[in-house]
Amino acid sequence: MAEKKLVSRLLAYKVSFTLIVFVALLAIFQIFTPNHTFFQRANLFSLARLAPDLGIVALGVGILMICGEFDLSVASTIPMSSFVFVKLLGMGVPLWINLILTLCVGVVIGLINGLLVTRTRLPSFILTLGTMLFWRGLVYAASRMMPIGIRSWLDFGSWLENMFVGSIGGIFPVQALWFVGIAILLGIMLHRTRFGNWIFVTGDNETAARAMGINTDTVKIICYVIVGVLCSVMGLMQCLRIESFAANQGVGFELKAIASAVVGGTALMGGIGSVLGIVLGTLTIQIIENGVILLGFPAFGIGTFIGAVVILFAVLNRQISRFSTR
Amino acid sequence: MADRRSAAAEAAGEHRRTGDGNLVRMVGIDKYFGRVCALRGVDLEVKYDEILGLVGDNGAGKSTLIKILSGFYTADRGEIYFEGKKARIGTPSDAKALGIETVYQEQALAPHVSIPRNVFMGRELTKAFGILDHKRMHEESMRTIENLGLRIKDTGAIVEALSGGQRQGVAIARVLYFKAKLVILDEPTIALSVKESQQVMDFIQQLKSEGISVVFITHNLFHAFQIAERFVVLSRGEVLTDVRREDSSLEHLSKLIISGEHDE
Repeated sequence: MAEKKLVSRLLAYKVSFTLIVFVALLAIFQIFTPNHTFFQRANLFSLARLAPDLGIVALGVGILMICGEFDLSVASTIPMSSFVFVKLLGMGVPLWINLILTLCVGVVIGLINGLLVTRTRLPSFILTLGTMLFWRGLVYAASRMMPIGIRSWLDFGSWLENMFVGSIGGIFPVQALWFVGIAILLGIMLHRTRFGNWIFVTGDNETAARAMGINTDTVKIICYVIVGVLCSVMGLMQCLRIESFAANQGVGFELKAIASAVVGGTALMGGIGSVLGIVLGTLTIQIIENGVILLGFPAFGIGTFIGAVVILFAVLNRQISRFSTR
Repeated sequence: MADRRSAAAEAAGEHRRTGDGNLVRMVGIDKYFGRVCALRGVDLEVKYDEILGLVGDNGAGKSTLIKILSGFYTADRGEIYFEGKKARIGTPSDAKALGIETVYQEQALAPHVSIPRNVFMGRELTKAFGILDHKRMHEESMRTIENLGLRIKDTGAIVEALSGGQRQGVAIARVLYFKAKLVILDEPTIALSVKESQQVMDFIQQLKSEGISVVFITHNLFHAFQIAERFVVLSRGEVLTDVRREDSSLEHLSKLIISGEHDE
């Protein structure tokens, strides 16, 4: 009986399962990739540089899901932020002001999303689908879908680049540190602060939260702003990394971020999730993408594997929660 | 443990108590929803140390009346006096500030969240910078739950894993911790087994022994008759009768509710 309880409790941390699969994947890829290229430094650093793109956005999207709402517009906040950044570069705006204004893009888009969702009380899935299309249309029209390189205005080695896409000791990507740092901050906020408790209960039982005096509208709006800012950070990071604004930045991210959160144990209905889970979920998806390519599978077919994993996790998460609350 | 609070409550309470023994007085309450009249000219008194049963058929206005008292709605006409003083209760927070706490039908509990986080929902105990004091929250919530006479084996469990009676216990422990003076319970025994209902009624008795007045709404006259000392019967927004248990009976109450006619 005691063993069942222990196992129950362990599995109740939905993250445990994600962790097990994660470790299993690492092992599988390491064994099966030709010449064991998976664990080689070049590959790991490549992962460390790319995973944060998805991870930073997934953290925001996941936390928003815990408070019970969706944000599909992340896919458009990213290119919009990137576009504004490049345009401001072209206007000769000082870098630090540029940085602040670029982050403001996320704040504004997040605020609009949050106000829209809380005032209309309509499903956020639909509303943010609308805002996603809205902002994307603007970006496409303003840029005419043409990429804009940054090198005409920004020389190599600027402090901004070093801060966001540089490398520690010339090798370790700074993006990974950003990812970890943001994850730690958000983790503390979500799991250890009063506000974090409000996020959980707003998503789990909004009526209860309101009856207890929690302003659930404010909670949601703040979460939307957080998502927005994280998207701006990521859009900027990506722009600096590829050294250009590209109109198709962020395409498909809205669903990938949700997938990362779900694989990491976040419930679609809200009220359940963890930062650690979202981090693992992101890494799992990223590793699958990476490993599948290394194994020589057709790159275009990656989606099939990701899709299968998402379904698998959704089903398994449910089985586990059935098992642990019996 | 319970004695400490009871003694203090008695000592403090004696000084503060109003002359007429009324903790709450609602006078001439009207409430309309659009053109529908939910309450008309309703007077309600709740005395100190009293368990009041608010009964009536569906649509009588019982929930509406207590929602006005707990700040969820505001009355269109009428006044509320709490501890002898006129009270303005515009929001649930106003009610809580006065010491009026409500245990809702849906229990206002978050199912996938732990017990301490539920008990302190919205009023979390924190250290500096808004950081949760998990240890204190755990200790205080478990202490209050034990005071109530509720035993929970797995204290780290999420609320969903508890039985219906235990969940009510957690909701009641919450109002107990926050030193409610008046606790309103909306259908506390609905959907509970016989044994769990008895458990909840023991909790209610425990509340009274802590010097807390209780108003509870129920369809179940049998339960109401077991613990309520006084009954107020509502029908179609009006008070049919206000009667002490000694002066009434199960048959009397159910006849009134069914007929919908005033007493006598």
